[in-house]
Amino acid sequence: MSGIGAALLNSLDIGLLLFIIAVGLNIVFGVLNIINFAHGALYMLGAYLAFSLINIAGMPFWAALILAPIGVAIIAVIIDRLLLRFIYSRDVADSLLLTFAILLIINESVRMIWGSGIQVVQPPDLLSGSVQLLGSSVATYSLFVIVMGLLLLGGLWYLFNRTRVGRIMRAAALDRDMAEALCINTRLVVTGVFAFGAWLAAVGGVMAAPMRALDPGMGDKIIIESFIVVVIGGLGSFPGALIGAVILGLIHGFGGRYLPEVNLLLPFVGMALVLLFKPNGIMGKGATA
Amino acid sequence: MKTTRLKKILVAMTAAAAFGTASQSYAEDPVRIGGIYILSGSAATYGEFAQKGINLAVDEINASGGILGRQVEMVYEDSQGKASVAIQAARKLVYSEGVDALVGLDSSGVAQGMVPTMPELQKPLIITHAATPDVTGKLCNPFTYRISVNVAQNMKAAALVASETEATNWTTIGPDYAFGHQSWEFFGEYLKDIKPEVNLMSETNFPRFGAEDFTPFIDRVMNSDAEGVLISVWGGDLVNFIRQANNRGFFEKDLELMFTVGAATEVLSALGEDMPEGVHLSTRYWYDAYDNDINNRFVKAYIDAYGNPPSYNAEGAYAAIYAYKKAMEAAGSTEGPAVAKVLNGMSMEAPNGTVTFRKGDNQAMVSPNWGISGPMHPEHGIRTLTNLQIFDGEKVARTIEATGCKL
Repeated sequence: MSGIGAALLNSLDIGLLLFIIAVGLNIVFGVLNIINFAHGALYMLGAYLAFSLINIAGMPFWAALILAPIGVAIIAVIIDRLLLRFIYSRDVADSLLLTFAILLIINESVRMIWGSGIQVVQPPDLLSGSVQLLGSSVATYSLFVIVMGLLLLGGLWYLFNRTRVGRIMRAAALDRDMAEALCINTRLVVTGVFAFGAWLAAVGGVMAAPMRALDPGMGDKIIIESFIVVVIGGLGSFPGALIGAVILGLIHGFGGRYLPEVNLLLPFVGMALVLLFKPNGIMGKGATA
Repeated sequence: MKTTRLKKILVAMTAAAAFGTASQSYAEDPVRIGGIYILSGSAATYGEFAQKGINLAVDEINASGGILGRQVEMVYEDSQGKASVAIQAARKLVYSEGVDALVGLDSSGVAQGMVPTMPELQKPLIITHAATPDVTGKLCNPFTYRISVNVAQNMKAAALVASETEATNWTTIGPDYAFGHQSWEFFGEYLKDIKPEVNLMSETNFPRFGAEDFTPFIDRVMNSDAEGVLISVWGGDLVNFIRQANNRGFFEKDLELMFTVGAATEVLSALGEDMPEGVHLSTRYWYDAYDNDINNRFVKAYIDAYGNPPSYNAEGAYAAIYAYKKAMEAAGSTEGPAVAKVLNGMSMEAPNGTVTFRKGDNQAMVSPNWGISGPMHPEHGIRTLTNLQIFDGEKVARTIEATGCKL
């Protein structure tokens, strides 16, 4: 059954990339109570910055993987200080409107700066081509995405459970007033968390660039997928983002191969089932309370 | 009191309207043409290609005296790829901007929605890109024309190409909306007609438009009995598809691959050498296919202005402006119904040869171009097309009865 091995690896490749993106969305919601519509646009910015660094400045892919997300995080700090800080205390619906406006601004800026054409980034030589694994040939780059996804997963788990920074972030998520009373600079936490979420989105964008074509609509495509992940896994939940992303990855990886007639429907069937039986998502807040 | 005020407003409005139309027919005013294209979002590049083609035509026409001695002016609206937005845009262009004619439409869905509203606007529309057969078929009307190749024409040509190969088992990979499904239906029907022994597989593949990862579908075809594959994935999706297919070793398999929009220059430039050699590629207009004065001039002007060879979409839009020039000058006016009447059955010279809007359905009898991907072009940085076939536009078109159009 070589087909199943290939489907499984493909599912993990799709799922873990989605995880990197969706977990940023979830962290931002968990701590800041903001549903960031512009998350996909930040992912796109990461990909386009990488494109400029690699194809125009001639840097190696690895340098872009480090630099582009830092660039996007800096942009996120500016967005936070200039716009978002005014709405943190408001209803979550206001954040939807504002981040939607930010999304439109970023989309149009990308079109003005890089043009509306289709751009591609080549994978580094080390990761081009394919290898034999589980009885079928797999793109080396897909394996890299899987490894990077697992590394980030481990890193995030360590950050939240074993470091002071992670505990502060969780404390701010649970009760911001109490955190402030305990002399935690919540303003710094808020900006830091938003920048960190943007950094994750941009890492996803740089990782996606060598396998997915760049165009000014790429952010819109990924945000819908990320929302499906979040609905399935649970809004604001870290393990939820992982579970949701892997489920959606499996739906794409196996659905396309074995149930192609309904591949369009499957993600939404999954979403509907979760909403019926676990309205807050599989790991959602309040699902167990 | 209230009624008199209302009356005053009505009178003022009537006067304004009358004055407005009077000033529009004033000879010194420019001829205004409205363009409705996708100008934002992921397909915005197609709208920009159209604008590039149109700008060239407008500049050339204005430099040589305009239309009916009047300068030509373009007004653009963004369709956002949505029918409802395009319908509003058309109304705005006709009623507020006072345009004399319309060009546009990149998406079949938009075309299907907007075309039925054209008789109400009483202005001609020349479609330059959207390919659904319906708009010059069951939805046709005396104000709607298409200068570009439609799906039925291109699939007839595809079936002719496919029938010459040795493949018997055929399947498809196409986007899961009208374009992907209609491409496969027409292709299957025509191929079965020409070569009854072919087997149209029931295992078809319709990934979501914008699916990003096509690997599951690529694997599925590789593990099937398919010998020939019709691939109607296009644009950015096609770039993703080819790169992912390269990774899977798809092109090393002994398959007849037919890409229905594969020779689009924007896809070829993005892919460069990643586009494999030896696959069948089609486009609605290949810039290197026609050796005539108009095409040579158009291609040279386009490359001089924009740095790369023209896409099919730029050519259609370029030719549409010249179609209006010819029709308006023949009609001696820019009145919508008069211009539309001349367009019906009109022949003109365009970059892709002599183009005739067929009387029965207003579809231009233009040729789809099919070829086989060859070595890289030394200057343009894209694959060349070898074994190029230019089909007779008339012969690949459906009969008027088959279109379902009753004009």
